[in-house]
Amino acid sequence: MGRLKPLMVRQPRIFWRKNYIFALAFALLLALPFIFTAHFQHHVMIKVLMFTFLGCAWNIIGGYTGQVALGHAAFFGIGAYTSSLCYIWFGLNPWFGMFLGGILAVAVSAVINYPCFRLHGRYFAIATLALGMIIRLLFTNWRLVGGALGVRLPLLPESLWNFQFHTTKLPYYYIALVLCALIFAILYKIERSKLGFYLRAIKESEEAARSLGIDVAKYKLVAMSISVFFTAMAGTLYAQYILYIDPISLMPLMTSILICVVPVLGGAGTLWGPALGAPILLIAIEYSRAWLGGGGRGIDYMIVGAIMVAIIFRPGGLTSFFQGPRFRQWWRRIRG
Amino acid sequence: MKNKILLLCMAFILVAAFALPGCVPEVAPPEEEEEEEEVVEPVKIGAIYPLTGPLAAIGTEIKQVVELAADIVNNSYDIDLPFARGEGLPGLGGAPIEVVFADSKGSPETGLAEAERLIEMEGVVALIGCYQSSVTETASFAAERLAIPYLNPESTYPGLTDRGFKWFFRNTPHDYTFSETFFKFLEDLKEKEGLDHSEIENVAILYEDTLWGVGTSDAEKDLIAKKYPAGAEYNIVADIAYAHEAASVTSEVMKLKAANPDIVLMASYLSDALLFQKEFKALDFNPKAILAMDAGHIHPDFVSTLGADANYIFTREVWSLDLSVVNPLIGIVNDIYYERHGKNMDGTTARSFTGLMVLADVLNRAGSTEPEAIREALVETDIPPEDLIVPWKGVKFDETGQNMYGEGVISQIIDESWHTVYPSEFALRDWVYPQPTWAER
Amino acid sequence: MSELFIQVVIEGLLWGAIYALVAVGLSLIWGVMGILNLAHGDFLMLGMFGAYWLAILLGIDPLIGLLIVTPAMFILGLGIYKSLITRIVKAPRLTALLATFGLGIFLRNLAHFLWRADYRMLGDTLVGDRVITVSILGGTNFISVPKLLAAGGSLAATALLYWFIKRTKTGRALQATAMNRQSAALMGIDTERMYMLAYSLGIACVGVAGTLLTNFFIIFPEVGIMFVLFALVAVTIGGFGSIHGALIGGLIIGLIESVGGFVGIPALKQALVFAVFVIVVVLRPRGLFGWAD
Repeated sequence: MGRLKPLMVRQPRIFWRKNYIFALAFALLLALPFIFTAHFQHHVMIKVLMFTFLGCAWNIIGGYTGQVALGHAAFFGIGAYTSSLCYIWFGLNPWFGMFLGGILAVAVSAVINYPCFRLHGRYFAIATLALGMIIRLLFTNWRLVGGALGVRLPLLPESLWNFQFHTTKLPYYYIALVLCALIFAILYKIERSKLGFYLRAIKESEEAARSLGIDVAKYKLVAMSISVFFTAMAGTLYAQYILYIDPISLMPLMTSILICVVPVLGGAGTLWGPALGAPILLIAIEYSRAWLGGGGRGIDYMIVGAIMVAIIFRPGGLTSFFQGPRFRQWWRRIRG
Repeated sequence: MKNKILLLCMAFILVAAFALPGCVPEVAPPEEEEEEEEVVEPVKIGAIYPLTGPLAAIGTEIKQVVELAADIVNNSYDIDLPFARGEGLPGLGGAPIEVVFADSKGSPETGLAEAERLIEMEGVVALIGCYQSSVTETASFAAERLAIPYLNPESTYPGLTDRGFKWFFRNTPHDYTFSETFFKFLEDLKEKEGLDHSEIENVAILYEDTLWGVGTSDAEKDLIAKKYPAGAEYNIVADIAYAHEAASVTSEVMKLKAANPDIVLMASYLSDALLFQKEFKALDFNPKAILAMDAGHIHPDFVSTLGADANYIFTREVWSLDLSVVNPLIGIVNDIYYERHGKNMDGTTARSFTGLMVLADVLNRAGSTEPEAIREALVETDIPPEDLIVPWKGVKFDETGQNMYGEGVISQIIDESWHTVYPSEFALRDWVYPQPTWAER
Repeated sequence: MSELFIQVVIEGLLWGAIYALVAVGLSLIWGVMGILNLAHGDFLMLGMFGAYWLAILLGIDPLIGLLIVTPAMFILGLGIYKSLITRIVKAPRLTALLATFGLGIFLRNLAHFLWRADYRMLGDTLVGDRVITVSILGGTNFISVPKLLAAGGSLAATALLYWFIKRTKTGRALQATAMNRQSAALMGIDTERMYMLAYSLGIACVGVAGTLLTNFFIIFPEVGIMFVLFALVAVTIGGFGSIHGALIGGLIIGLIESVGGFVGIPALKQALVFAVFVIVVVLRPRGLFGWAD
């Protein structure tokens, strides 16, 4: 699915008829919170969707463009802080704060990441990791934004406008679902656009891309900006969901790593990779903790570590299972 | 291939060789002797603590002590604690307490999720936890949303009880109270030692950069600004926050040396407390006294790893082993704990123990597992001091849910153990002031 | 004041050498195999625990334990290489990176499972916490012996590794493998063995670091995280595959951390180190002494 395919213009109606599997899957996703009804189960679903979203966002720079950015938790944090503080200081509605956070994150990322675009491979990875750490340390010690004390969001009556729900988590689930649908639509478009080809060309070989007349630095910046914008949006969702943010738990290295494990587990640079990786990883994390965490012997994290190691046995990620000839045959038969 | 298997085996044996001697056999809690004639449904209480991650050491100890408290309630012990004699809670037909533990991993978000899981999927009737103030913040929020009583035994960030929550109750005194004790103690020190005001004037504040450390330093700075108590004046000559995950703390110590304070007010967890004390010695830093905010400095491992180098630190406490002279319960409970886990309790675990005992008392009086009934009972709590293993005037919650009778003491490490030195009614030993320089020790 | 400042510089150099000691092994692995071993800090932790248990259970002082832990870590490296790293080397870069991080998480929690999360420290070692008092420019300064020993170990390990790579036949073969695996294989070098050697040597180096750290540092399952990031930064500043670069990178970091923390805001000293690092690599994209990426 991630391979370069000739552009096909499809009629939307035919698309749905031909892809009733997707329609079914989407209907199942809509119904899921009514099948599993406990708050904790909803929490797991929201986390899965949130990380699918984050994974898709990361995929743009890390997967398609092949630039391993390891500091995305910082932008996630910037999004969360911007919308929360804008509400507390100026009374700005978090929905606008969400976009403002995205824009601010893009601005920050443009300033600090642009110089790093000339770095290659691991140097870029470590540089972004370091930048992420710097942002986290700055937030921890920046008293104006709460410092280590964090920010507590004032409780408001629950409504979609206020972006706060106390008695139920369902709205958060559907908001996350809509965000995911949005990013999938955008990625679908990008994959089939000129931009998508440019990005993949950069991934294959920067020199070759440059010789074809692609402005490598510009398109890396574009990819990074889109990626960071969505990452920051997810930050707002997180802040409105937890209603308390602090730099130490919001921007740890572990979050940055998880953000890229999700797509890599599913298949980096593929549209459906994050959607496969996130459920497996997050359900493993949440449920192994729920079952074994109370024992306090670290077995749950051993499982998570083992999953991350296990990726090497299928370097193409889980989507690569669906790309073999046998699967294609089967798929064709199902679709009739 | 054979080669590969051989090497794998070797690696495995190697790991095993490192591993096996270190494996601490887990002391199995005594089997619960239920299912005799009538089966009484146990009362489930949820407990959320950091059981993995950097704070796992303390989280695990709290887990052990909470298990001990539940064991004392459930089985018959010959101790003068409520519910020790006899099995289970009489008010609930002899129902035993079952504590369901969950791991917060030190993350507020995980704390929230685990609180919800415990309430809805495990069916707990009340929650305790979470040690770290930031996790308590979110976990108690989940309890508030789902209308389940939450008793917090050990988080000291003052703001937790300012939220107007209906279901949140806090057993421990908070950092503001503790900091007040600090300054009252300093006044007492000046008076008894006949010191001039200028001899304890320059104060350095050293704290780790998380919610707890910053919260305590804020309380201290606020009290200094207010000239608490009664017009006492201090200069803050150094205000140093340090990153809690840094390996090297030398530049912080050198900054302290440059500021040359009379008194250092410290707020550190165990790992940083150990590193700092080592560096104080290596770099020959000699303030007149170090006043620490419990946590790392009251942990038994602080003294057992540093030995004599740990001496002369003053630390705020809510508990001290030497208080067993005044309150024999302290010694008895500590002995049982020591027997099971090979370690003494400390102020943190003593508070967690108290937390579960208070909850047992509440459940017993509620006579029901309905949240509303438990809340009613919590509001009406009035436990006398003789039923506690901490030197408080009792347990009674004010309208914000804060225990009004909680108090701090100050103890000093002398001869490698903690001795209560303030307030004078608990003091069993004279303090050593000023602390000797490293050359004199 | 100058007395204090000299002390700050001394501490910076000592800590810098310690960071370098952790970084040297990382640099070797990175240089030869091209994988970033994010589990390095956790191997450090295993080394520390190895030395600790030798001291506690058999009464072997870390200084002598060095002779046991280092070869043991070498063998452990061999085992891990054979079972996992052969696959990691073949995997795409990003997958390899995350797999080593996952391995780190696994080891960390395995240690937690086996030995609990308690903070441990060795009490009476041969070195103890002796301090040498020196007089520089008329002031009194202190040098802690266990730190000095670790710093010395760092210099020695770097020198030894440098000698091994530049002067021995195997070392040259390692270098050739690092530069181009295919060509090296064509020259008749068993590159698979070279990879194995590089990885095991790297892990052995971190065993040395762990053992020397037990003389004065706390030991607990999460201890590796405190060092691995700085080691990464040291290696990257020094440049890909440069052994002496890692040492110099470590010293630079130590100095910045110590002096920066003393002059500026201590809580931001790590941020300062990271900032200087980013500036260095942006100005010199291959690090100070590196030759490829």
